[in-house]
Amino acid sequence: MSMPSIYKTLGTSVLMAGMAFGGSAAMAADAHLPGNVRVVIGSTSTGGDTYQNSSIVADALAKHLDINMKVDAVGASSAFRFLDRDPRGNTLMIFHDQSYLGNLYGVEGYSDIFDKYTIGPTVAINPGNAYLVPKDSPYQTLDDVIEAVGNGEEVRVAIQPGGVSEIGFSALKNAIALEHPGMEDNLVAVNTGSQADKNQQLFDGQADMINGTVQANEQYTRLPADDQKAMRFLWLTARESTIAQAPEDGLGQTTREQLLQYVEPNVTVPMGNGDNFTFDKEFFFLFNKDMDPAIVDQIDQALTEIYADGEIQETQKNAFFIPDFKPSDEAAEYLETKMSVYKDIITNIQ
Amino acid sequence: MLDILSLLDISFFLLAALGALVGIIFGAIPGMTATMAVAVCLPLTYALGLNHGLALLLGLYVGGISGGMVPAVLLNIPGTPSSITTTFDGYPMAQKGEGERALKVCVVASLVGGLLSAAVLFLFAPLLAEFSIKFSYVEKFLIILLALTVIASMSRNMLVGIFSGVLGIWLSLIGTYSISDGGNGHTRLMFDFLEPYLFDGFSLLPVLIGIFGIATILLEAEEGIKGGLGGKHVEFGKGSGFSFGLFKGRLTNLVRSSFIGTFVGMLPGVGGSAASVLAYTQEKNLARDSSEMGKGAPQGLIASESANNALTGGALIPLLSLGIPGDSTTAVLIGAFTLQGIQVGPLFIPENADTWYVMMTALVFANVVMFFLMFYAIKHIAKVVLVPKYILYPIIVMMCVVGAYAINYGIMFDVWTLLIFGVLGYLIQKVGLEVAPLIIGFILGGQAEVYFVKSLESFGTYSIFFTKSPIAVVLWLLIAASVAFSVIISLKGRAKRQAEAF
Repeated sequence: MSMPSIYKTLGTSVLMAGMAFGGSAAMAADAHLPGNVRVVIGSTSTGGDTYQNSSIVADALAKHLDINMKVDAVGASSAFRFLDRDPRGNTLMIFHDQSYLGNLYGVEGYSDIFDKYTIGPTVAINPGNAYLVPKDSPYQTLDDVIEAVGNGEEVRVAIQPGGVSEIGFSALKNAIALEHPGMEDNLVAVNTGSQADKNQQLFDGQADMINGTVQANEQYTRLPADDQKAMRFLWLTARESTIAQAPEDGLGQTTREQLLQYVEPNVTVPMGNGDNFTFDKEFFFLFNKDMDPAIVDQIDQALTEIYADGEIQETQKNAFFIPDFKPSDEAAEYLETKMSVYKDIITNIQ
Repeated sequence: MLDILSLLDISFFLLAALGALVGIIFGAIPGMTATMAVAVCLPLTYALGLNHGLALLLGLYVGGISGGMVPAVLLNIPGTPSSITTTFDGYPMAQKGEGERALKVCVVASLVGGLLSAAVLFLFAPLLAEFSIKFSYVEKFLIILLALTVIASMSRNMLVGIFSGVLGIWLSLIGTYSISDGGNGHTRLMFDFLEPYLFDGFSLLPVLIGIFGIATILLEAEEGIKGGLGGKHVEFGKGSGFSFGLFKGRLTNLVRSSFIGTFVGMLPGVGGSAASVLAYTQEKNLARDSSEMGKGAPQGLIASESANNALTGGALIPLLSLGIPGDSTTAVLIGAFTLQGIQVGPLFIPENADTWYVMMTALVFANVVMFFLMFYAIKHIAKVVLVPKYILYPIIVMMCVVGAYAINYGIMFDVWTLLIFGVLGYLIQKVGLEVAPLIIGFILGGQAEVYFVKSLESFGTYSIFFTKSPIAVVLWLLIAASVAFSVIISLKGRAKRQAEAF
């Protein structure tokens, strides 16, 4: 390349960069959402469902709005802090029901999100929250567990305390208290951490039942019965209508039909108000309270168009998520009602 | 088989090589780690597809773990937490002008560690996964305890060393016993006004870089400018050159350390740093002559580097045969599978044979590329120490600050941590405390607490630590032997010094 042509190329590049920058700046001014957006999530894992689902949504939004979006797995307490100090809209948060369950269980670092933040749109459900027993467990159904505990037998359940992993346990305890008053203390929580820890408790015989997920535990349920690691699903907390939307092939080699056996009404955990307990782990946006409402509208609008397009639903379903878009206002009302149901359960068993 | 070969195109190998190169650079920059390299490149796997994505990520993993040796040897800053034991002998060698030799020893040891662990992974993964689930909280606690015994053998003065170690453990307990680990999440060992900053305790990497890197720079700065580091100390070429003869008589060390690395790697939740610390302890205890260790002995480098590279294969064992990541980097790597909709679990290998072979190819290839890249580039890299200090050190400080700020995605307090521990590292050396035991206590203290508490929560009695399983008994014997060896070595050393004094 001769010298003049280098200058020409350089000049063109600078010009193009300038135009691109000017263009995006102008667009951002029209549209409110800044050109570079950081999406913080309430999990530190890049291998988990929060990261995976947030990536799908952030990618779709970035493409649709022609801006940059980057998902950062910073964990709950950091994510809340980052969100607290950024009202400009450069930082958004995606998290799930843990964000208010943490507060209901009194976990440090969780405040009332309905008061402190603007609730954004819901985007998807992970229908996989499950309870499992060893394959050779004497408990064939969840009713067996309720019955055994009611008869004074101690059943130990490995959970991660303070949120999504505990809510099913709390509901079960509540159901036992209703059916066999005074016996609920025989359902004992074994507090652990990661999924690996919960599995290990089962292998060690330190727990009779564990909280897990369809995604992480499905292969274990297909191991031969004589394998120490073999497990069996007993209960999926998701609503029947949620699992019914999963792909027909289900996950791994467990079909949707098989998964439906483990949800309400086939497996029931009464709440005492005539309804049975269900729990869908739902992902939604959280915004800084002082963020310009126009940005909320813009995100709602963009997601409405993205979901109308239909492509994102396919991506989500392929990753075993159930699409569940609700715009901000609707989402806030819905989640607050959902929270109050779980609040009652947690209060009942305290 | 042909199916697999068709998956291995030229871009597959180029990506693995590129991964190794970028990984080495990440690992070599203090504050950047293999985990960060993999996390940054994870979204690329969407575009690349699973096989090509895995080639890149495994390259990054191997490169990132290996790159840590460079600043550890040349600058006394562990580039990654698992290269902390590399500083013990690497930096003294670099100071004696043997930086190039030290690095070459490290590279060869890394290659052997990486390949041996890959072989173990390939041949025994399901079997070893079966074995690894026999390690409950109790056994994991005992492993950490065994690694902690290195404090006794590494100290110049055993009492001071143990005190420093306990201080390190105390520092690691600042923060909370996390709710996600089953704790109460209440802050402890701090003043109220520090809660917003210290909720999660001091961050490991800024502490490491501060206490090693910044403290070293402060100590050097105290001596003032003496016309750069002085090329006269650094002898490249004959005399201090590298030859494979260095490994003569060290084969046992190499193989033992590689197996220790693989083994620790496959225990989920027992961090990578424990691997190199454990390998280092065992070499110190079992070698015929370990008196030079800590003063610039190649055998220390062999133990440390072969163990930390052996982690790679080891940590993939539980990931691929249980769906449970063995260390922080494989925890990120699992994202590559979930993003592609592939489950990892006990049936992953039989159900995804193609991916399994592809991964093994990438792993072995990345190790070989890492070897050639580093072995031949070292001559030039080692010249870093020839750069005058007044130019070199400000650059290092800047990199350390950037790294500390970036490690948790932009927390300013991490930069303050760097400074605090830099000054602390300087001060503790002034008052005669020992840095290495302190930092090992800091790294292992948090895990020791969690496993100790969980063992008691699960079994409700202290005696369980002795009676849980035959594995626990064997671990106690190893702990006892390790402590006994340390005492004997220390007594021998004292006797020798006394004899010399007369």
